[in-house]
Amino acid sequence: MSAPNAIRRPSHWPVTIFCLIWLAVTVFPIYWIFVTSLKSPLSVNGGPTYLPWVDFMPTLDAWRAAFSGDRGDFIGPLMNSVLISLTSSLIALVIGSMAAYSLVRFEFRVRLLAALSFAAIAIGGYVALVHGLGFGKLAGLGLSFLLAMPTTLFLNTRNLPGPILGNGDVVFWFVSQRMFPPIVSAFALYLIYAEMGKAGVPLLDSFPGLVLSYVAFSLPIVIWLMRDFFAALPVEVEEAALVDNVSRFRIFFQVVVPMSWPGLIATFMITLSFVWNEFLNALLLTTSQWQTLPVWLTGQNSYRGDEWWAIAVAAVISITPMIVVAAALSRFMRSGLSAGAIR
Amino acid sequence: MFDRAKYAFILPAFLVVLIIGLFPLIYSLTISFMQVRLVPPVPPSFVGFDNYVEALSQPRFWSSVRVTFLIATLAVAVQYSLGLALAVALNSTLPAARVYRAAFLFPLLMAPIAVAFIGKMIFHPGVGPMRDLFGLFGYPDPPFQTDPVWAIGMLVTIEVWQWTSLVVIILLAGLQSLPRDVYEAAALENATRWQQFRGITFPMLLPISAAVVFLRFVESLKLIDTVYVLTGGGPGIATETLTLYTYQEGFKKFNLGYTSAISFLFLILIVIFGTIYVALIKPQLEKRT
Repeated sequence: MSAPNAIRRPSHWPVTIFCLIWLAVTVFPIYWIFVTSLKSPLSVNGGPTYLPWVDFMPTLDAWRAAFSGDRGDFIGPLMNSVLISLTSSLIALVIGSMAAYSLVRFEFRVRLLAALSFAAIAIGGYVALVHGLGFGKLAGLGLSFLLAMPTTLFLNTRNLPGPILGNGDVVFWFVSQRMFPPIVSAFALYLIYAEMGKAGVPLLDSFPGLVLSYVAFSLPIVIWLMRDFFAALPVEVEEAALVDNVSRFRIFFQVVVPMSWPGLIATFMITLSFVWNEFLNALLLTTSQWQTLPVWLTGQNSYRGDEWWAIAVAAVISITPMIVVAAALSRFMRSGLSAGAIR
Repeated sequence: MFDRAKYAFILPAFLVVLIIGLFPLIYSLTISFMQVRLVPPVPPSFVGFDNYVEALSQPRFWSSVRVTFLIATLAVAVQYSLGLALAVALNSTLPAARVYRAAFLFPLLMAPIAVAFIGKMIFHPGVGPMRDLFGLFGYPDPPFQTDPVWAIGMLVTIEVWQWTSLVVIILLAGLQSLPRDVYEAAALENATRWQQFRGITFPMLLPISAAVVFLRFVESLKLIDTVYVLTGGGPGIATETLTLYTYQEGFKKFNLGYTSAISFLFLILIVIFGTIYVALIKPQLEKRT
C-alpha cells in the first residue's frame, strides 16, 4: 500500500475526510460494544451514553458476572469453540495443503465421461439399492459409493471420447463446494447425521461430527489459497531431493512445508476465523453439549431479553481472538497475501 | 511410485469433500422427491415433483426469494460503489496507512452473529445510538423493527458495514497492480483525475470488479445470521431470506421432503443467477482486452 501507482498529488482534504469518516464508521460499533460491556444495567437503559467517566460510570460487574458462572455457563461453549476451530482448521490445513501441493506439482487428467459416470452410478445405485431392493439408507449410500469409485477409476483409464478435465477443473470442483448455499449442505448433513445416529454412530451434537463438517467446509479455501503459495515456490530444491531418492512425503513435509510457513500460518488463521465465526452448521448440528460460541450467543437473545451489558461481554469475548488474528494478518498482507489470494 | 504419491496426496481431501459435502446432497436430493415428515410422523412415500410444485406455488417462497435478492442487490451495490471510492482514495493519499489496514480487517473477521448483536444494540429504539443520530436530523424514532422498508435498510446497512472492507482490500490490491506508465502518459496529456478514473482505472479494474461483485453477491444470498438475530424475518415475513425460510420449514415444521426441495430450488436459483451473470459480463470483459 505504500507504493501507489497513481501519480502522487498533494492530498485533498475532502478525500482525507471521506476516509476518516469511513474509519470512524468502521471503528465505532467495536468501540460501542466494549463500552457497553463496562456499563451498569442502569446506565444502559437510561438511553445511549458514549464516554466512560463523562456520561456514565464504568463498572466491571458484567464481566465479573460472566466469569463467576452464575449467568449460565459460557466457559463450556467457549472451550468448544476453541477446541473445534483449532482441530478442524489444523486437519483442513494438513490435508488441504497436501491436496493443493499435488494439484500444483502433478498433472491430473479426468475424463468428463468417467466423472459423470461416477455421479450416475452413485445416485442411480443409491436409488436402486434403497428404493428398489430395500437396503438401508446408509448401506445403500456406502455400497453405491464402493460401486461407483472403482468403475470410475477403471473408466478413466479407457480411451473414452469427450473432453478431458485438468488440474484447473479439479480445483474448480473443490472451490465450487463453497458456492453452494450452506443451508443446502448443512440440512443434508443434518439428515445424514440423524440417520447415522439411528444406526448407532451418534454424530449430531458431537465433536467428531462438527469437526468433520468444518473440515469439509474449510478445504476449498485452504486448497485455493495454498495452491498459489506452492506455485510460487522454486521447484529446483524438490528436484534435487528427488534425484537423491527422497520419498515424496518426506519432500513435502521436510522441504516444502518449512519453505511455506508464512502461507501456512496465514491460511490457518483465515480458516480459523471462518470456523470460529460459523453459525449455520453449528446451529443445525448441535443441540446442547457441543454448542459453539455463536450458537450460544443467539441463545442469549431469546432467553434473557435485553440484558445488553451481558450480551456485550459475550460479543467481546467472541470477537477478541479475531482482533488478534486481524492484527497478525495485517502484517502478512504487507508481504502480498491479498495479491496472491485473489489471483 | 510417482502416480501413487499423487493420489495419496489428494485422496484425504477428496474423500472428505465427497463424503461430507456430496453424499448428503445425494441423500437429500432423493428425499426432495418424497414426502417425509417427522411431525406428525407419516411413512415416507414417493411423490415425484409435488414438493417442488408446492414450493413454487407458495407466496411465502417467492417473498423470501424477493427479499433475498433485494437485500443482496442493494448491499452489493452500496458495497461496491463505496468500496471503489475508498480504494481509489486510499490508493492516492495515505496518511497512517497501517491504521486503515488493521481497522478494515476487523469487521471481516468478526462473527456475523456478533455483528448482528452489535447491530441490534445500535439500532435499538431505547438504548441505541442510532436514535441520537436520527434525532439530529429531527427524526428521533425510526421504525427499524416494525416497518419493512426500514428493516431492510437496517439489514443492508449492517451487511455494508461488515463487508465493504473486503471490496476495498481486493480493489486496492487490484489498483496497485495497474501499470504505472499509462497514468504518466495520461498526465502528460493533461487528463483530469476524473478522466483518468473513467478512461483508465475503472476499465482496467473491470475484471477484478466483476469477480468481487460476484463473490459478494453469492455470499449475500446466503444471509441468515443478522436476519435471525435482528428481525427473525419480521415484521411478518418482510425480511425473511431464503436460508431463514428453509431453516424455519426444516426445524419448526420438520417437513423434511419439502425443506430439501426448497434448498435445491435455492441451489438452482444460484446456478441460474451465476450463468446469467457470466453471460452478461463476459462480452464486456472481452471487449476491453
